[in-house]
Amino acid sequence: MSEMNESRRALLKGLGLGLATCPFALGAARAETAQVTAAPQQGAASAEDRVSPYGLHQPGIATNRPAWGMVASFDAIVDTPADLERLLRRLTERIRFLTSGGAVPELDPKLPPADSGILGPVLRPDALTITLGLGASLFERHPWLAPHRPAQLARMTSFPNDALDADQCHGDIALQICANTQDTIIHALRDILKNLPDQLVLRWKQEGNVPVIAPQPPGVVESARNFLGFRDGSANPDPADAALMERVLWVQGPGWAAGGSYMAVRVIRNFVERWDRAPLLEQERIMGRTKVTGAPLDHPTGSEADTPEYAADPAGDLTPLDSHIRLANPRDAGGERHLMLRRPFNYSNGVTRSGQLDQGLLFIAYQASLNEGFIAAQTRLNGEPLEEYIKPVGGGYFFAPPGFSNAPDDYLGRQLIDAIGRTPSKT
Amino acid sequence: MKTLPLFAALLATTTAPALAEQAPLDLVGPIAEYKLYVSENTDVLVEETRAFTEAVKAGEIEKAKALFAPTRLSYERIEPVAELFADLDAPIDARADDYEQAEADPEFTGFHRLEYALWVEGKTDHVTEIADKLQADIEELARRIDSLTFPPAVVVGGASVLMEEVAATKISGEEDRYSRTDLWDFHGNFDGAWKIVELFAPHVEDEAFLNSVEGNFDKVRDTLGKYREGEGFVSYEHLSDEDRRRLSALVNTLAEDLSTLRGRLGLI
Repeated sequence: MSEMNESRRALLKGLGLGLATCPFALGAARAETAQVTAAPQQGAASAEDRVSPYGLHQPGIATNRPAWGMVASFDAIVDTPADLERLLRRLTERIRFLTSGGAVPELDPKLPPADSGILGPVLRPDALTITLGLGASLFERHPWLAPHRPAQLARMTSFPNDALDADQCHGDIALQICANTQDTIIHALRDILKNLPDQLVLRWKQEGNVPVIAPQPPGVVESARNFLGFRDGSANPDPADAALMERVLWVQGPGWAAGGSYMAVRVIRNFVERWDRAPLLEQERIMGRTKVTGAPLDHPTGSEADTPEYAADPAGDLTPLDSHIRLANPRDAGGERHLMLRRPFNYSNGVTRSGQLDQGLLFIAYQASLNEGFIAAQTRLNGEPLEEYIKPVGGGYFFAPPGFSNAPDDYLGRQLIDAIGRTPSKT
Repeated sequence: MKTLPLFAALLATTTAPALAEQAPLDLVGPIAEYKLYVSENTDVLVEETRAFTEAVKAGEIEKAKALFAPTRLSYERIEPVAELFADLDAPIDARADDYEQAEADPEFTGFHRLEYALWVEGKTDHVTEIADKLQADIEELARRIDSLTFPPAVVVGGASVLMEEVAATKISGEEDRYSRTDLWDFHGNFDGAWKIVELFAPHVEDEAFLNSVEGNFDKVRDTLGKYREGEGFVSYEHLSDEDRRRLSALVNTLAEDLSTLRGRLGLI
């Protein structure tokens, strides 16, 4: 598969197309690679980058991951279907404005300004995407909503290595906010809080970023490194492969959820001091890749794009059987079913009471099947040697509804509201 | 909910930004009335604090506990203008977090120090001086009120300042953490903020705005009303997650709406 990716990449570069990783991306100067998780390169991003909010699917899933991202989780104040529709319409209005950019409204100076002003008087889109996710608690709270809960959406339950903190978990609504710069994602969050205070109450948020690397020679693509120093995202599915995306990412019809995707969010603390004191060879055997290039251990002089051949290494002499990449994606016959698309960010929060760094990974993965995607992968990973160095502390499962169009009356989540409207109301 | 996003409502009318120019002179009436309200509450506060501190000093723990929340009610009502007597507000009402050594800090005095003695330490013989100081501070406050100037911007702004405080550190149950009488304080705060809105509403032209604000105060009262018990309220611990979420949303919305009140009255 990776060879195919390489050749497609080469072909498209040859045609001078860049890669239209997102069919709705306008002026996406960044898109030199098909990998969502490619490291952003210096000088490639611009404040004028605009990722269209419109389309069959929400942006921020298969579109390129920019340097900054955040997940913010909210309690939703909603009693009736009309309340939910109002929330979704107002959120859509903010998303339309924020992702398009433009002048912020001027009010009488005796009033608080309409906008935080942290981006100045004229907003530029800065590759901003705001991706909505709906939590199981939202559906469960209301009899009129419960029948419409996406089939696999459930409250995240604890895995054996988890130490979940209730203050960093779950939520009725999650927003994944991504952009080229931190200021843009913070601005977007503050705008939404200011404009929907009566319906959205913030529960928790985690922001993160990925390192921006030096400009690379044409055709050279690197996955961004995480805070363990390894490239993260190497085996991600290719978003330019529409058929693959249909299978991996998008929930299929019938039903209102068609075209949506399950969002798994995990706040995973990394014990970085301890990791930095682990021998390099041990780090590499835990991960299953070389640290410098990301090449699989059975092709140590290759590149991160090489596919490991586990069939030739049944005893795990080269790539240990319990290494992270081998457990996460065994690349066996059934493995095709278990794909997901990851777009993680690194977070750095401060210092723990023990005087250690509170750093880790804001893991975000999208998939058409939560059970066969993230949950199956994490179940295989249970007990992996890497657990000594990581501790999941937060997150949740959400469902990202399908996208919306630029028709003036369309809005995010309309498919759900329509479905509720079609249900005979016996409640 | 019929709450308008205020800012959208404003946009509709302020393409050419302009608010009614309200000569502050017109606000003399409501200011005088508000001052009377503060003065009345302060008088009650002096008497009730006396009963409370006497009980503390006499070691009547149960009686003092019963008087704690009702005594604070008058203080919480006038909190919108606490910045006019900030030097007294700190020793009267500061919390342990305001001090580096928290509860052990010698600077930690006032209501919450006594609350800590009553509910956590279970004794009062070591806080008689703190009780005397609280009474003295409250009496000093009462003496000052009559001669205190009430700038309209501070009074009107006080309503939103209080909402900010509730949103930032009260809704989480930080205020009365030892006694869990937070709902009494909420009630006092909302009463006090509503008084300001009520007095100045006739000078605000935007009906939609007023309806929204009034509607949200009503919803707060309805929500708190579910937790009434006797003359007051049940423990903060009984507040359901669902209602805390609702109160958060209402307080945040009121904070947004009331943040425009000064501007709407032409005050800076």
